[in-house]
Amino acid sequence: MRQFSRVLRTGRPTGAVRVGRVGRVLSGRLPKPLAAVRRGPLRAGAFPSTLHDQRMASLLGITLGITFGTCFLTGLVSHFMQHPPNWLSWPARPVWLYRVTQGLHVTTGLASVPLLLVKLWTVYPRLWEWPPVRSVAHALERLTIVPLITGSIFQLATGIANIAQWYRFHFFFTVTHYWVAWITIGALVVHIAAKLTTVRANVGRRRHERIPGTAVSAALERTAGGQDLEEQGNLGNGRDGAPPTGGLTRRGLAVATGTAAAVIVVTTAGQAVPALAPLDLLAPRRPDLGPQRLPVNRTARAARVAAVARDPGYRLEVVGTRRVGYNLAQLHALPSHTVRLPITCVEGWSADATWHGPRLRDLLDAALIPVDATVRVESLEARGGYRASEVRPAHARDPLTLLATGLNGADLELDHGYPARLIAPDRPGVLQTKWVHRVVML
Amino acid sequence: MNADADADDGADDGADADDGAGARTGSGAGLGVGGFALRVVLVAAGLAALGYGVDGLLTMPRATHPSNAAAWLIGGIVIHDALLVPGAMLVGFALSRLVRAPYRAVAQGALIVSGAVALMSLPLWRGYGGSVDNRSVNPLPYGRNLAIVLGAVWAGAALLMISRAVRVRRTGRTGRTGRTGRRDAPKAG
Repeated sequence: MRQFSRVLRTGRPTGAVRVGRVGRVLSGRLPKPLAAVRRGPLRAGAFPSTLHDQRMASLLGITLGITFGTCFLTGLVSHFMQHPPNWLSWPARPVWLYRVTQGLHVTTGLASVPLLLVKLWTVYPRLWEWPPVRSVAHALERLTIVPLITGSIFQLATGIANIAQWYRFHFFFTVTHYWVAWITIGALVVHIAAKLTTVRANVGRRRHERIPGTAVSAALERTAGGQDLEEQGNLGNGRDGAPPTGGLTRRGLAVATGTAAAVIVVTTAGQAVPALAPLDLLAPRRPDLGPQRLPVNRTARAARVAAVARDPGYRLEVVGTRRVGYNLAQLHALPSHTVRLPITCVEGWSADATWHGPRLRDLLDAALIPVDATVRVESLEARGGYRASEVRPAHARDPLTLLATGLNGADLELDHGYPARLIAPDRPGVLQTKWVHRVVML
Repeated sequence: MNADADADDGADDGADADDGAGARTGSGAGLGVGGFALRVVLVAAGLAALGYGVDGLLTMPRATHPSNAAAWLIGGIVIHDALLVPGAMLVGFALSRLVRAPYRAVAQGALIVSGAVALMSLPLWRGYGGSVDNRSVNPLPYGRNLAIVLGAVWAGAALLMISRAVRVRRTGRTGRTGRTGRRDAPKAG
């Protein structure tokens, strides 16, 4: 708190006098509210558990910093794979890269549920801090907690709803989840800056030495950081996590929280990790459940292509320097290749499958499309954000990239993109366009 | 109440004194000049990211529906702070009355695990979401599966309780010296 005020104060090098004045305004004590108002959860000793302590909060904070950081970075990967800026060209290798980053994104997010809930419970007395606001700096610090907590809860709740395809909200999930991720991670970084000293004094083998200054200022630091935790009946950064009541110890709470996260990982990661598939009990997908033993994200009916995709007069058109058309018989007569590639959904599940059909690069060559050209693969869908996708040279020219006509030894089923679909390595599932009828050079 | 207020004042004054010393040396307490600079950079970067997110949310209203997004943002924290945490505290209070000491910690831990697992999978076992024409979404019998997982959790908890009971009986209620984390059992009895 005090450190934060100092940051704000000296963070503006606008002359010593002015800095001093700003500092006084920020850290000047605000008038205290009437003691008579201090009732219910506001009163001293309202939260007697010794587990509301700084060491617990610090350890959980570090863990959440790691899991939220992982979610943010893997989320950025997914966002920029789907919306690549011009300067960014994703590689087609390793084949499993997106599978790993997106599986990690969803699994880490789910495992963060117990971490976040226990962390918020640990610091809950702070919500009822007395006095509610000590100084302007204190008010500012409390203010940055609001986007941190709202954002964290929002990200986990909407993520859980989205992977179950449960849409009770009106906003478009991916866009909103992306922007709120920036809000959350920004507030988290500010929070880390504000709590750096508290964490250093509470974590690590030599933590006691890092309590700033002497024993006297150690006590002050403790009160500056955890005044109300202590005042309301807790230990602040207590040295002994054992409560006198016979309930969970600090170690016990950590074990329970870690167990919760582990149980969640073990019972959900099977939707992306083949070895864990038998334990996939609580994930929204099973990699082997669906038509042709493969899950489907968007059915032909939902995409409104069920009739047009079955039309026997279907023609595939490849438009480059030359325009080449194929009817169904011609498409199936093309040299066919068989590849084993995972399909990875942005919702976190992924599954290996065996695909066959012509290579995309052979089709591009036939239409005299140059090797450095980007192409657009278009679906029979009349509308929708995913009716077409861009394929840049790294993927378009990859020998593993097919315009697949078959899956696991049989013709594609309608829901998997009959008559032809794109399948490329290291690419989000929403960009593996189904029901393809045109490939156009850009 | 008076005594509290006095202690409070003392603490604040002390913190101020510490603050002044820190300001004189120009360093963040216990972090040195480098740590202080790090903090300034972190705060600036964090606020920039936060602002970028708010700006993005507001400039793409057709996708983000800012008022609906705000309702969900605020709704989440209100439900958590006003219902979830007080609810958990009520359960904790009930446990402290209903379950005796060597076993209470285990029951608390098992409840934490159960609650987190149930919440994480709530749309699945409640049957929310999915679509009628796509049976590969949410395809499993989640009610049964949740029962299996929670059954395993509580079976583990029961084993722990039994081992604690055996240990208490074998060692008696006194004379045990254990690590901090295990001291609760004999103390409470």
